[in-house]
Amino acid sequence: MKPYWDVNILTGTKTARIIEDPVQFAGLIKKATRPLYILGPDTVDRKIGDKLFLKYCLDLAKAGNLPICATAHVQKKMEEFGVQPNSSYDIIEIVNHLKDPEWQGVNKEGNHDLIVFSGVRCDLAERGLATLKHFAPHLKTMALCRFSHPNADFALPVIRKDEKWQEYFASLIANLIGDR
Amino acid sequence: MSKKNKAETLNIITNQVDTLNIIKGEDTWEPVGPTPLPQLPDLRNWSMRLLKTYKPFYAPFCDLCCNCTYGKCDLTSGKKGACGIDIATHQARWVLMQCCMGLACHGAHGRHLIDHLIEKYGEDYKIDLGMQVDVEAPIIRTVMGLKPETLGDLRTAVEYVERGLIHLVSSTHTGQEGNNLDFENKALHAGMLDHVALELTDIAQIVGYGYPTSIADTPLVELGWGAIDKTKPVVLAIGHNAASVNSMIDYLRDNDLEDKVEVCGICCTAHDVARYSDKAKIVGHLGKQLFFIRCGIADVVMTDEQCVRPDVPEEARKAGAALIATSDKISYGLEDVTEKEIDEIVRLVSEEKRQVLILNPEKAGAVAAKVAVVLAPNRKKGFIDTEAAIELAKDCIACDLCSQACPNMLSIGKAIKQFAANDIAMLSETFKRCFTCGKCEQKCPQSIPIVKIMQAVATKERYNVRSGRGPIHDVEIRQVGSPIVLGTIPGIVAFVGCSNYPKGDEEVADMMDEFARRKYIVCASGCAAMAAGMVKDKEGKTIWEKFPPGFEAGGVLNVGSCVANSHIVGAAIKVANIFAKLPGRANYECIADYIINRVGACGVAWGAYSQKALAIGTGCNRWGIPVVLGPHSAKYRRLYLSRKEEDDWNIMDGRTEKMTEEYVEPAPEHLAIVIESKERAMVSIAKYCIRRNDTPVGRQIKLNHYIALHKKYIGEGLPDDLHLFIRKPTDVPMFFKREVMEYLKEIDWKPRQQVGLPTLINTYPTKANIADIK
Ligand code: SF4
Ligand code: SF4
Ligand code: SF4
Repeated sequence: MKPYWDVNILTGTKTARIIEDPVQFAGLIKKATRPLYILGPDTVDRKIGDKLFLKYCLDLAKAGNLPICATAHVQKKMEEFGVQPNSSYDIIEIVNHLKDPEWQGVNKEGNHDLIVFSGVRCDLAERGLATLKHFAPHLKTMALCRFSHPNADFALPVIRKDEKWQEYFASLIANLIGDR
Repeated sequence: MSKKNKAETLNIITNQVDTLNIIKGEDTWEPVGPTPLPQLPDLRNWSMRLLKTYKPFYAPFCDLCCNCTYGKCDLTSGKKGACGIDIATHQARWVLMQCCMGLACHGAHGRHLIDHLIEKYGEDYKIDLGMQVDVEAPIIRTVMGLKPETLGDLRTAVEYVERGLIHLVSSTHTGQEGNNLDFENKALHAGMLDHVALELTDIAQIVGYGYPTSIADTPLVELGWGAIDKTKPVVLAIGHNAASVNSMIDYLRDNDLEDKVEVCGICCTAHDVARYSDKAKIVGHLGKQLFFIRCGIADVVMTDEQCVRPDVPEEARKAGAALIATSDKISYGLEDVTEKEIDEIVRLVSEEKRQVLILNPEKAGAVAAKVAVVLAPNRKKGFIDTEAAIELAKDCIACDLCSQACPNMLSIGKAIKQFAANDIAMLSETFKRCFTCGKCEQKCPQSIPIVKIMQAVATKERYNVRSGRGPIHDVEIRQVGSPIVLGTIPGIVAFVGCSNYPKGDEEVADMMDEFARRKYIVCASGCAAMAAGMVKDKEGKTIWEKFPPGFEAGGVLNVGSCVANSHIVGAAIKVANIFAKLPGRANYECIADYIINRVGACGVAWGAYSQKALAIGTGCNRWGIPVVLGPHSAKYRRLYLSRKEEDDWNIMDGRTEKMTEEYVEPAPEHLAIVIESKERAMVSIAKYCIRRNDTPVGRQIKLNHYIALHKKYIGEGLPDDLHLFIRKPTDVPMFFKREVMEYLKEIDWKPRQQVGLPTLINTYPTKANIADIK
């Protein structure tokens, strides 16, 4: 499937599995032993409807009990909502750590087995996902982004309408609550 | 290496030196260091030592390789190509190819200028950079061991670059180099040669055209499309080699036309013609090329080389402007009319509307001036008005195909739709982030001329930028050398490179302003210097009017075009060579070691897009200067990163000549890194100016900025790696003392010794002499 942005069209052979159903997406997150949720600055810059994208992401992290890595300057906004990230690396730095299977992860409990990306600038996210695709076979990547990401292992279809995107999040959150 | 081999190698070097007469026997300015005219193997150990700490990080752009006819080869999941190459090595090869392109551009630019100037003035024409600059070519001296005194010596330097380039390009062929680290050594070598090329090019043009040198307070040049006087005949120069446009200035001066013809430029040619004539103006950076040509203000477009759009002839024709190409690098399939008489060419261009190639700068300059004078009176020029633009936008059906095509992922479709409804705010914000590449228009099913519509929302204000000042003065280095090395001037931050900004010019201006107010030394060049000038504060002042132009704490200086970046690196070298009196001649490793351990310099290429910018950045990395890149630069595919807590940071204490046993601070933490937002970048830049040699007072000042910026942009608390940079309580900044001491107690931090004389020399096999750094 073609991603929303032309700059992210895949020139390659190994492309993401598109997960249309949020229940299935939630199921994949639930299966992970040590997931990590990476939040980029688009969570602060974009809204879905009239609610900040970051709010949805924080609700999701809470529902799924996902540790957060705040990239760029996301931490600042998180603090306004009274939430501290588990770590603050910039996107390239966290990807660099994730490449190493021996890395102990943001909670020092071992490297993560599932990485979920939201709100990282789409062209940069795609580069980070490419690095992980090629150099981190020990983990899986998910792009929780409405613009779709071919270099992830699992990605969403392009979701154009705000209402659809809100529904996807709501269902994802509902299906994660209490399970981790 | 066996003794015999070593002797042979030395012999080869000596023979080469004798044969090429590169290092003249009578030169006694400094003893010749261990690596004169270094070839690929000579600094390989230095590269490998850097790469041990700063490991390559690859972000493949493509799963495939299509380099040769065996391909395409799928390189995913550990698969190798038909030739046996793996994905990491293929990325490294790709990066080397790109660095070679960049190097070749600077080298060929220098070669053209030097040949041209030698033809004009002879090879014995003296290099004189004025009263304030004795160490005229710190890069060439340090790398090659040559002290260039004449244009002929600069030709010798470009010949050295050319020889190196053949070997580098050769290794990118299928079935050549097979190891990614060795490819990286070659890329670092290409970067180093690139810096030689930059320096020789800028010195050649300074002496050949009499550009400012030995002066800091250069004039302010008018900047922005709003500054261009449409009532006059207008000639627009685009590119990087000002030979032809400078010749045009000569023609205008000789014919008393300098006040009657408006000369302006885009990209580095603009900087350089503004260094030549105080009447020349700068339209803007390369991102506004298509926009400005389509405005139709230029009567003649004159292209030279590098970063010029391939569709300039088509666009110039559509705008009704004449086109004169002046470089063998960009000939556009045009007829070469160099041998024809000037008046005949003027007739062909103005009457027959022919687009031409003229390879003689003097002739090209004269023709451009004459054609502009002939054409201008009959052309209608000006920006489209808002009403007409809104009418054009009304065809928009809100399909958003344009946005999807935008390389900067701008919501241009929404902006056009809102503009059609008379709401101009979003489009004017979008324009600030737009490179006017035209990708959006190509996708539009309604054929809406988006770039043209943008004329209606583009600011028409006049801005300014300080004209390029060339080298940093020896006396400035003597004044700031000590505070830089002690750390009490917190750093030198250089904003360089192209204009592929994620969020527009303002980001560069904001970052420069932040560091200048914090009393860093802020340097700029090329498109970054222009971008910074395109922003005014509340009082209507640009950054160029707000801060002093000297190489001093809180100074903001423009060295000039991209080739003038050499002077920023040159300043770091001069701190070692002039202030610390380190022998510099052919002593690359010692000087680079000094820089990485003691000179808190950080490059910022926030909009780097070109292969040249990659070569420049990679060259900085070999000198030990970290470079921060904006998000688009992840597409270069390779960075150099460390891992501060996991990696081995042990180094040598030059005083005891023993390896350190305690943890040593990870400074600088990375050599090449992409950062996603300007907010994070500012915090990181402050951190990357920390050096192991900082005195406690210097470290306090640097950490004060690191903490303050962190609190301002990232979060309320302290940076989570702060403890790694605190050696003793005396390193802790007074202002944050209580908070920091509490934090250190909480994490059970233990003080450690400051390394007496931090060095990498002798931590790896080297011919460099550790005594030199003492
Ligand atoms: S260079 Fe190697 S990997 Fe690339 S196409 Fe040729 S055989 Fe395949
Ligand atoms: S012209 Fe501007 S808006 Fe259009 S695609 Fe290019 S950068 Fe995007
Ligand atoms: S592609 Fe054309 S019609 Fe579609 S949204 Fe963009 S400007 Fe409007």
